[in-house]
Amino acid sequence: MERKRKRSPTVAARQPLAPPAPATSIAKAPTFVRGLDEILEGGLPRGRTTVVNGASGSGKTLFGLEFLYRGALHGEPGIFIGFEEPPEQVRQNVATLGWDLPALEEQNRLLLLDARLKPETLRSGSFSLKGLLAIAAGKSRAMGARRIVLDALEVALRLFDTPQQVRSELHALNDWLHAAGLTTILTFRPSLRGEALIYEDFFESMGDCIIALDARVTEQISTRRLRVVKYRGSGFGRNEYPYVISPTGLRVAAITSVGLRHKPLGEKISTGNAQLDGLLDGGYRRASCILLAGLPGTGKTTLAATFVASACARGERVLYIGFEESEAAMIHNVTSTGIALQPHVEAGRLAFLTQYPEALGAEEHFMATLDRIEAFSPQHVVVDAISACYRMGGKQAAFEYLMRLLNACKEKGITILLLNQLSGVTSYMEISGNEISSMVDTAIFLNHQFSLGETNRVFQVLKSRGSRHSNQKREYRITDHGFVVEDVYLGEGDVLTGAARQRQEQRDRLEAQRLAHEIEAKELELKRLRLAQEQMQQARAQRAILTHPEKSGAPPSAGEPRP
Amino acid sequence: MKTRSTSSRDDGSGGDHPLYRFRLFVAGDEPNSHQARATLERLCATRLPDRCELVVVDVFADYQTAIEHRIIVVPTLLIESPPPVRTIIGSLDDEAQLLAALGLSEGGKRP
Repeated sequence: MERKRKRSPTVAARQPLAPPAPATSIAKAPTFVRGLDEILEGGLPRGRTTVVNGASGSGKTLFGLEFLYRGALHGEPGIFIGFEEPPEQVRQNVATLGWDLPALEEQNRLLLLDARLKPETLRSGSFSLKGLLAIAAGKSRAMGARRIVLDALEVALRLFDTPQQVRSELHALNDWLHAAGLTTILTFRPSLRGEALIYEDFFESMGDCIIALDARVTEQISTRRLRVVKYRGSGFGRNEYPYVISPTGLRVAAITSVGLRHKPLGEKISTGNAQLDGLLDGGYRRASCILLAGLPGTGKTTLAATFVASACARGERVLYIGFEESEAAMIHNVTSTGIALQPHVEAGRLAFLTQYPEALGAEEHFMATLDRIEAFSPQHVVVDAISACYRMGGKQAAFEYLMRLLNACKEKGITILLLNQLSGVTSYMEISGNEISSMVDTAIFLNHQFSLGETNRVFQVLKSRGSRHSNQKREYRITDHGFVVEDVYLGEGDVLTGAARQRQEQRDRLEAQRLAHEIEAKELELKRLRLAQEQMQQARAQRAILTHPEKSGAPPSAGEPRP
Repeated sequence: MKTRSTSSRDDGSGGDHPLYRFRLFVAGDEPNSHQARATLERLCATRLPDRCELVVVDVFADYQTAIEHRIIVVPTLLIESPPPVRTIIGSLDDEAQLLAALGLSEGGKRP
């Protein structure tokens, strides 16, 4: 079983910045749990023991079962020893995930052993777990088992009175597991009151790899986190990773919260609006994060839809994540601005993912989003709106959802357009939204401007990383043919809008007229002067002829001396 | 591995002298198993002559039977008859406790 450890190609390809794998890399058994093998850099230590701890409801039984189920499907038979749950219950629980355990059991690729002690059992004297070991050993030989899970082992260990007995049982178990070369998962529930600390220490020393599952409920939304506590002889992802129980099994988000594997920003692509492209020195950049922030009704969705329509028209795919409106409502709303999205939906270039933020926790939202991104592989993602993400369970939940989504998009080279609805007070923090400002490459702020009794719309490019851009405020209108940027008019250090802009325009027109008149007047004057000059010259010539009629060849004057 | 300490004298239908059927799961000859077996054999010989049937199962030799009876620890004694079936785990150090479980506490007579 000491096969050379194989690193999955995705891991290898995605880790240019990660530290190199240790030279003495150990053999691994893939868990086939989505996302987990990346964190474990290939899987669990093969032929060794992994300890998984977590409170009840954290999914540790499922963790073990999935390891066996997927292992069995990949040609590695396995044994599940349940000290707490009867096999029938185990089968039923996972049937909802579409796992057909009985089929695998029939094929001798999976064995579910009921290791619950009968309740009416009396105790008299000393005993050991050798009965179980004998069964496991016999079955494991018969099946050619490669994997084994001992689920809720602490239940069995409670039978023993002294730490010495517990230690000796665990030693015997450990020796057998080693000798049998089985890749093992031991799961246990840490005691709440510390009474079971004795064997927790033993457990931990048995494990070459220790994984902690943490499920908690904050603000009525459950969050699940997985953390690899130690991994002897192997590198591993050291963050806390969110995981969910998806409709097909566990799902771990192997996304770092410090994005080291981000793709560089790509080439410029049109925003869908030529004038805005001009202001941004060509448009948005591919694989960048663009933030459109503004008060309600300032046209964020229109601006986003403008981009969506133009991207789809180029044949690219866009995923529109809507937390505010249904797909139909969103499409209908932008139709009035002359943007037709329905044809793009029908052509399969535009897909919607609309969900109520409250419906799921941040992890579930993120997984659902990631699933959709992986299935649809869009070039661009729109989130409308990040302000709604708070309803996933508070500020922290919103932040984590967005950070992970941003990282996922940046790692996949996807352009992400975030819409942020501001509540009124516009500090820069609010504009940039959810403390994600460092991730934002281009920020556009849409606002109302009040002047001379009207409200007008202005926008400003607050930031555009890696490109020249205009930081002037510009007026725009939402028309029935889309987003129209007005020509700029600078007043007293601020852009003029509406009536003020019109007045300025008029002033300018008058000024231009005045200048035109002035020029005309000058030209007339010039003409007059030229005419006058000509007349003077003519007059002078006339006078010369009259006063000196014999001028030609005549001696100069009578008074001049002659030779 | 079957040990019939004494062949049954009657049909085991009960009455004043019911037949005791024991099934003892052991792990080879490790100390606890050895002790449990010795205790049980002594008990059969001294307290239940001619009405005791003892089957000893070595889990390492016959794990399939161990699975059928859901054996986790050894030694495990199943008292299969007279009903109800009772399970006692351990080396059977405490003979008085064992006798009580068998209903033999009072000088070999059933209560």
